[in-house]
Amino acid sequence: MGQRRVAITGLGLISPYGGDLSDFFAHLLAGESAVRFLRTDDIPRPLAIPFVSCTAFDANTSLGRPLAGTMDRFAQLGTAAAFNAWEDAGLSRGQPAEDRENWGVAWGTALGGTLAYEKGYKELWQKGRERVSPLSVILGMNNAANAHISIQLGLGGVSMSHTVACASSAIAIGEAFRRVRSGEAPVMLTGGSDAPQAYGVARAWEALRVMASGDEVTSPQACRPYSANRTGLVLGEGGAALVLEDWEHAIARGARIHAEMVGYGTSCDHSHLVRPEVAGQVRALNLALADAGLTTDDIGYVNAHGTATAEGDPVEIAALKVVFGERSTCLPVSGTKSMHGHQLGAAGAIEAIVTVLALREQAIPPTAHLVELDPACAGVDHVTTARHRQPLRAALSNSFAFGGSNAVLAFRALS
Amino acid sequence: MDSLGLIREFLQDRLGVEPVRVLSEAPLNSLGVDSLMMLELIFEFEDRFGITLSKNLKSPKTVGEMAALMDRLRSEQG
Repeated sequence: MGQRRVAITGLGLISPYGGDLSDFFAHLLAGESAVRFLRTDDIPRPLAIPFVSCTAFDANTSLGRPLAGTMDRFAQLGTAAAFNAWEDAGLSRGQPAEDRENWGVAWGTALGGTLAYEKGYKELWQKGRERVSPLSVILGMNNAANAHISIQLGLGGVSMSHTVACASSAIAIGEAFRRVRSGEAPVMLTGGSDAPQAYGVARAWEALRVMASGDEVTSPQACRPYSANRTGLVLGEGGAALVLEDWEHAIARGARIHAEMVGYGTSCDHSHLVRPEVAGQVRALNLALADAGLTTDDIGYVNAHGTATAEGDPVEIAALKVVFGERSTCLPVSGTKSMHGHQLGAAGAIEAIVTVLALREQAIPPTAHLVELDPACAGVDHVTTARHRQPLRAALSNSFAFGGSNAVLAFRALS
Repeated sequence: MDSLGLIREFLQDRLGVEPVRVLSEAPLNSLGVDSLMMLELIFEFEDRFGITLSKNLKSPKTVGEMAALMDRLRSEQG
């Protein structure tokens, strides 16, 4: 079977701004940060960090108490996002008219159900109990989100989870893309979710010395990718999902198509657990372009990984400069984590959606809070305020993970 | 609280089942109690009443059978 074209027919996310997809993108175009100061009631030392919460998301309301009660927060966010994407694609959640035995799910999560496990640890070690909830295993397992999504949507094909740190959902989307393009699955629900506010998890990230600092006043501006005064990343919780569909299948059922997914490149630096390498990122970028049949001239926007860490930002810009050569100075690049934060296993899916919306709306969201550029990050066209009415034909979304795994997704606008 | 009361409270909280539907003769599976939910319900009984259920316990089929079993264990172990 020849390669199939892949349509993006559904987008869904749980927005930290509380609204729908259009509202989310409008906030990004306006350069508005969703980062807030989080202070927990943990004993003896509460968390006090800049963080992005989906405060308007109530799982019991969104999913119903019986279903929500069998999920950790990461699966709740993921399943709710999947439902939104499914509805956006115009697909039914009830008894389907069509056979869905080869429709599948590919999901990304870096952490899985850490809140459930942490609750168990507190029972055992803080409260001195001898046992934990009988649901602990199914709440905590990394494949919980994709399992729930497959069950709820009645999808009988592959159901898999990808745990590749910050590239988890980008790789999940890429692997889902390959299955649709090969003809193995006519429809794949893909994306990712994470809820990293578990006390031990947040403390672990603090210990790595890569977290941005901030207080009640300064937290909204805490994440400053490419800035000379950047201090690190801001964690957040979230869930985001896309429906990838065989182009002809989508046309046949009259589905609205947001954009086309055309390429996926993945590589490993194979050198260091946390220090990114230009060469590995260059390979992923070139593989994505070749896979998509695109040239650097076709790319009108790159949604960067851009976490605002000291090491990561300049390496990513250096990789872009290698791949785009002399054109890099006029290559529009933005790091939207400056506003929506870093949702770890959900970040790649959130940014894939941002990239698709940029193509659909022909508008580029900015890197917020970028006032003084770090000279080490110079050499591309940093977008610092929204650009509207852009003639965008194609765009890339970068995700680069601890462990050296790199993933680049390529999308094309509808002509 | 008696055993029937605890079953009613649990099912209302977890599944939104109205207490008036939780009658003695009602099959537990018809109220939404699957194998996982049964584990949670047993866990709740053990916690609230300080009893221990055997791992080889034969799962009760109805609300009445569940309540009677719990009453017996509370009497034996209480």
